[in-house]
Formats: sequence, C-alpha cells, structure tokens
Amino acid sequence: MNRELRYERLIQASPARVFDLFTSPAGQREFYGKDVPGWVVDSSCELRVGGAWEIAFGPSPGELYRHRHVFEAIERPRRLLLATTETRLDGSRLAFSTEFTFAPRDGTTLMTMVQWGFPSDELRDEHGHGVPHAFDRLARML
Amino acid sequence: MRYSAPIGALSPTLDATFFALSDPTRRGILERLGSGPATLSQLAGPSGLTLNGIKKHVGILERAGLVETEKVGRARECWLGPAMTLGEAGEWIEAHRRVWEGRLDRFERFVERAE
Repeated sequence: MNRELRYERLIQASPARVFDLFTSPAGQREFYGKDVPGWVVDSSCELRVGGAWEIAFGPSPGELYRHRHVFEAIERPRRLLLATTETRLDGSRLAFSTEFTFAPRDGTTLMTMVQWGFPSDELRDEHGHGVPHAFDRLARML
Repeated sequence: MRYSAPIGALSPTLDATFFALSDPTRRGILERLGSGPATLSQLAGPSGLTLNGIKKHVGILERAGLVETEKVGRARECWLGPAMTLGEAGEWIEAHRRVWEGRLDRFERFVERAE
C-alpha cells in the first residue's frame, strides 16, 4: 500500500462554497499565488473529467514552474481527483496523484488534500519494518 | 523572498537514492546492515542470490551513498553509508509539504475573505 502526504484545513464556509471557490479562476490563482512583487500565476482550467487545470507560476515570466492537473473525478461538492504532473525548470517531470475532499463539519468544511505516488513511496513503506537509523528520521517527517 | 524550492527537482543523488530503495532485495540488505556490518557472502546467504547478484545490488546502494564497502582479506565487508542521502530525501519531502501547506493556508484565507 502506498503511503501518502495528507493535509487538512477547517474552513469557515460550506463544502459547496469551498468547492466552488476552489474551482473558480480566482481561487485557483490564489492557491498558487505568493505575496512576492512580480510573482506570476497563469492558470487555465477545463473543469470536466479528462480536462486539465494548467498553472505556470514563479517569480518572473522567465522562471516559471508548471503544474498540470488532469481531472480524473469531479464529484461536486465533495471530491476532486487529479493526476498531477510537475514540470521542473530543466524540463524533467514528477507525476503523482492529488485528491481533494470537502466534508461538512459543524457548519464548516474539512478540506483534505492527499497526495500519493511519489518515488519515495516504497521507501516510506519500509517504516515500521525495522530499517533503522535514517529511515526512521525520514518517516517521522511524513 | 524568492521561490527557491523547485518542487520535484530531485537531484541526481536523490534519484539514485530512490532508485536504490525501489528494490526489495536492496531494502533487505539495508535492513540486515542496520544490525551491523556483513560480508557479501553473509548478505548473499539469506537472500538466496549468488555472490555476483548481491555484488550488483550492493554496488547500486554504494553508488547512492547508502552503503560503504571495504575489502578485508578475501572478503568484502559492507556497512551502512552516511545517512546524508536519506537526509536529502527527507528534506525534499519536507520542502514539498511546506509549499503545499502554504497553498492551503493561502486558499483558506481567500475563502474567509470571500465570505
């Protein structure tokens, strides 16, 4: 079984509201934004299964990182499943899966992002199997 | 502050680390060496591999910095290498996590402003 990176936020709005803002052009630009003068975010999104959300972002037009998320599932307002590819400045790529879920919690939304499929998965799977020293140190970060 | 962490930019060392760790035999070797140094013959015993087979796996681990070896008499002794390459793997994952945590924080503030 692959291990995963999991992130959670409790957001003061309904799941439908959070989902809609997250899939809006403004929300998507904000997600990749940064309070840095000149920071560039160029985002375009085709919100349909098989469609792509593509973002170029970085400190200047000449130094842009690129993410391409292909929608594998869209279940408004509770779930998005994306096949994510990061393209590095040198043109090489890293692919992994990203899932967002939006669950109601006492009038707010528990937004959860889970990522898996990294090249380190097998490394992380070893945690708990007795591989000592630095393996434990790495696993503690996850 | 510049965006200084090209997320996903695995260095050649890190690529070598992940490649080395992608094989269960090599992970088994590291697990065995975790309990102390061993010769190639001692590593080959429980793995069911030939000496040459083990040598190849140990070579890959050695190139990734995960294992060090030295010829002692007629045998080659192996032990765990400096953990710095795994430290780099951990740092990469931590940097990746920090960036995505920052994105979620930013989106959370955006929703709350929009409400």
